[in-house]
Amino acid sequence: MSGIKLTGVSKSFGAVKVIHDVDIEIQQGEFAVFVGPSGCGKSTLLRMIAGLEETTGGQIRIDTEDVTRREASKRGVAMVFQSYALYPHLSVFDNMAFSLSIARRPKAEIDAKVRAAADILRLGDYLSHKPSQLSGGQRQRVAIGRAIVREPRVFLFDEPLSNLDAELRVKMRMEIARLHRQIGATMIYVTHDQVEAMTLADKIVVLKAGVVQQVGEPLELYRNPDNMFVAGFIGSPGMNFLKARVMSAAAGRLVVELEDAPGVPFDVPGTAGVPLGKGIFLGVRPEHIALGEREGSVPLKATAEFIEELGGTGYLHALTATGAEMTVECRGEERPHPKQAIRLSLDPKEMFAFSERGERLR
Amino acid sequence: MQRKTIGNILLLALTLCVACMWAFPIYWAVVTSIKPEHEVVTKTTFIPDVFNFSAYYFALFETNLAAWYVNSLITSIGVTIIVILISVMCAYALSQIVFPGRRLLYGIILASFMVPSQALVVSQFVLMYRFGLINSWGGIILPQLIIPVVVIVYKQFFDSVPKELREAAKLDGCGDFQILFRLYLPLNWGITTALAIITYIMAWNAFLWPFLVTNSEDMMTVTVGITQVDDAFGVKYARDMAVAILAAMPVALAYLLFQKRVTQALMLSSGIKG
Ligand SMILES: Nc1ncnc2c1ncn2[C@@H]1O[C@H](COP(=O)(O)OP(=O)(O)O)[C@@H](O)[C@H]1O
Ligand SMILES: [Mg+2]
Repeated sequence: MSGIKLTGVSKSFGAVKVIHDVDIEIQQGEFAVFVGPSGCGKSTLLRMIAGLEETTGGQIRIDTEDVTRREASKRGVAMVFQSYALYPHLSVFDNMAFSLSIARRPKAEIDAKVRAAADILRLGDYLSHKPSQLSGGQRQRVAIGRAIVREPRVFLFDEPLSNLDAELRVKMRMEIARLHRQIGATMIYVTHDQVEAMTLADKIVVLKAGVVQQVGEPLELYRNPDNMFVAGFIGSPGMNFLKARVMSAAAGRLVVELEDAPGVPFDVPGTAGVPLGKGIFLGVRPEHIALGEREGSVPLKATAEFIEELGGTGYLHALTATGAEMTVECRGEERPHPKQAIRLSLDPKEMFAFSERGERLR
Repeated sequence: MQRKTIGNILLLALTLCVACMWAFPIYWAVVTSIKPEHEVVTKTTFIPDVFNFSAYYFALFETNLAAWYVNSLITSIGVTIIVILISVMCAYALSQIVFPGRRLLYGIILASFMVPSQALVVSQFVLMYRFGLINSWGGIILPQLIIPVVVIVYKQFFDSVPKELREAAKLDGCGDFQILFRLYLPLNWGITTALAIITYIMAWNAFLWPFLVTNSEDMMTVTVGITQVDDAFGVKYARDMAVAILAAMPVALAYLLFQKRVTQALMLSSGIKG
């Protein structure tokens, strides 16, 4: 069992606390993704698991062993860096063989392991090349190969695809997913790109300012976000938020009115006990808003601003009367002109209610 | 087109002039060394009337030159290897290892860079005397091992090695010595070659210290030894020149041989850092 368990893990650089009491459990063989905006502490947390950064508080367990104070090389983890960190003076073969030669393994074993890894990653023809002779994608594969050769209990990836162009990124994403299926090892992957997180992860950990916001499967986070931050971060384009007021509350339901559509009360799922008349936020995703009027929907007037055209779909950016920005997914043919007054229909069943402080009301 | 050619010719002429000014003393030394002694003092000839190698015969077989050569070779190579070894370790520690007093230590090394080695000669002499190292290779080598600039250059190169490389090596199971000798040193091979050659040339050419620490003729280095030729036999220009040329030969050869390697290696080492 190479599961990983973090309990109350925290980290300070001097007086600045950047990781706050993180509790996460990752199962053996799971692909976990740490996602969050730049500077939220993803890399720091990953480096603490790797043993490259000292842990200030809490406990890190791998395979139920406490590794909190253990040296990096003795934790059985391998890491793939964003910059690849290949040894420039060594050939591809020697880069992958490096850890084994440090461990003084027999030549035949090193050779067999490196060749096996090179096969998995289709690097066989490049073994004698120097890293400088390789393309970005190939370098990335060598970096992954170097990790595979060590047969680690846990693979750690720190934004491994950010230095690649968009097309290659999608390809490498598939390769990493394939690798995970093939090897079945526990993997932790750090990215700021929620699309990468959604497509790769078995389990997503959303971080903000060193605090875990929510842990769950990709679709669970999409369908059932715990707070406004997760709701806004997961899903692309992001969720729209509109100000609303609570008119009355019944068991599990709130009757609310949008500031932009006063006099049109409707029901959303939500906790009873929210003070009446209190301001809340309603979140609705671009894909749950339709152009024109629909039966059973909440109508909203807005002004079209511009369209991000993708061909099959387009994303309409619009402003409501109170100045709230809205993104609306347009399928089919219909596309409003800029400055055109439009009517939108919001599906109340797909709405999420959040308190003023951003907590989910449910 | 025309104007450009004229400009080029002028530039070429100027370059040749300056080159001649540099080369002439060397040429003069060589020519003098193969003249008979009486021709040197009686007339000014740019090409000797007769070629006479007796000065070289004298230098090779009737002085202690062979011993001086051995002394110079051993002390220079010794200085080079030890300087590179301790500097590289010192620079690695200063650059990569966090320990209390690290900044202060680096400050002291920087400051000692500004102290001329001549200022330390007296205390070093006393020290070597107490160690019983007068007239020994150890006595010649030890005080020459303080070359702060080598540490400083190495530290600067080590500072610019991406920190992920060191972390990757750590995860691959390397200790600090392995990181230094299997990663940082090979990554900076170019600068090591250059620093080694410069150190070697400095050690070979060193005069003041070897002159002070040796007084028995068979422990002298070449640079000190050639002054003895002068003392023992009065001014004999051809002989002096022959000895001087033989003394300078290894350094000149080393430089000519490695000149390409030094520049090439330097360029390579800055190229692979991507
Ligand atoms: N060595 C360090 N010293 C001081 N602060 C640091 C150090 N490393 C990271 N930080 C701070 O910790 C926070 C998290 O950084 P990081 O983990 O790199 O974020 P992310 O990878 O999510 O972009 C940032 O505010 C950063 O400035
Ligand atoms: Mg990061």
